[in-house]
Amino acid sequence: MSEKMEMMTQDEQHPVAVRKAPTVTPSVDIYENDDEILLYADMPGVAKDAIAINLENGRLTINGHRKISSDGEAQFEEFGEVEYERAFSVPQGIDINKVKANMDNGVLALHLPKSEAIKPRQIAVQVG
Amino acid sequence: MYPRWNDLDQMFGAMDLLRNRMGRVNRLFTDFDRSWGFSPGWTTANNWPRTNLYDSENHLQFMAAVPGLNKDEINIKIQGNYLEISGTRKAASPEGYAAQRLERGGETFFSRSYTLPVDINIDKVQAKLKDGILTLNLPKSEKAKMKKITIG
Repeated sequence: MSEKMEMMTQDEQHPVAVRKAPTVTPSVDIYENDDEILLYADMPGVAKDAIAINLENGRLTINGHRKISSDGEAQFEEFGEVEYERAFSVPQGIDINKVKANMDNGVLALHLPKSEAIKPRQIAVQVG
Repeated sequence: MYPRWNDLDQMFGAMDLLRNRMGRVNRLFTDFDRSWGFSPGWTTANNWPRTNLYDSENHLQFMAAVPGLNKDEINIKIQGNYLEISGTRKAASPEGYAAQRLERGGETFFSRSYTLPVDINIDKVQAKLKDGILTLNLPKSEKAKMKKITIG
């Protein structure tokens, strides 16, 4: 078989992979107090409207797309276009309707308020 | 000999997959970490922030990924073809909360410096900060600009 022919058959067997932005996991900090769970995720370069947060069946997923608008020939490039993706299991008792998210300087802040039922409560001992 | 791009693609694909898997397992690689084995500038040990440099005809474009920093927390110094960015990244730790997981790092001082390929016209440098990315537009000095010579 000629080399060209061989190359063609190989092309057919292994179609060229579609190039897409690599998927990376954002670094997160998670804090908790009596009222809520607070999550911070570093997602530099992700615009507010390029982020998707889903909460379903106790699973929280965060997706964000970073676009780079570069100008000129790259001399060095330590970060590029990426797809941020990370999933968490959310404990029961989060009030899904009150989840709030905001984006500030490339950091996502996600507030997951606890429902009243699971908040710790002090029981007063009654005399008598 | 024909280059077999498919083979190369598959190899890089496998490397990407491995990288992602490792990232998921022990979070060694939490960001797009390809610097292709060379270090463009002097840096503090944690290699933060990540930076890019692009060269076009009349200017250079410099980018740094600085999530969580405000514009008054970043210092930029330029002299001739020397560029330095530094600052302190504050710890996010909100009051009254217990930390469950910390990956983003506490308060960190950072400083990176670069020798740019050409001299910069310092008076016309523009800097902006958007979505945690610092972008510097660095016009080349008149001397450094490429000139086209017509043969007379």
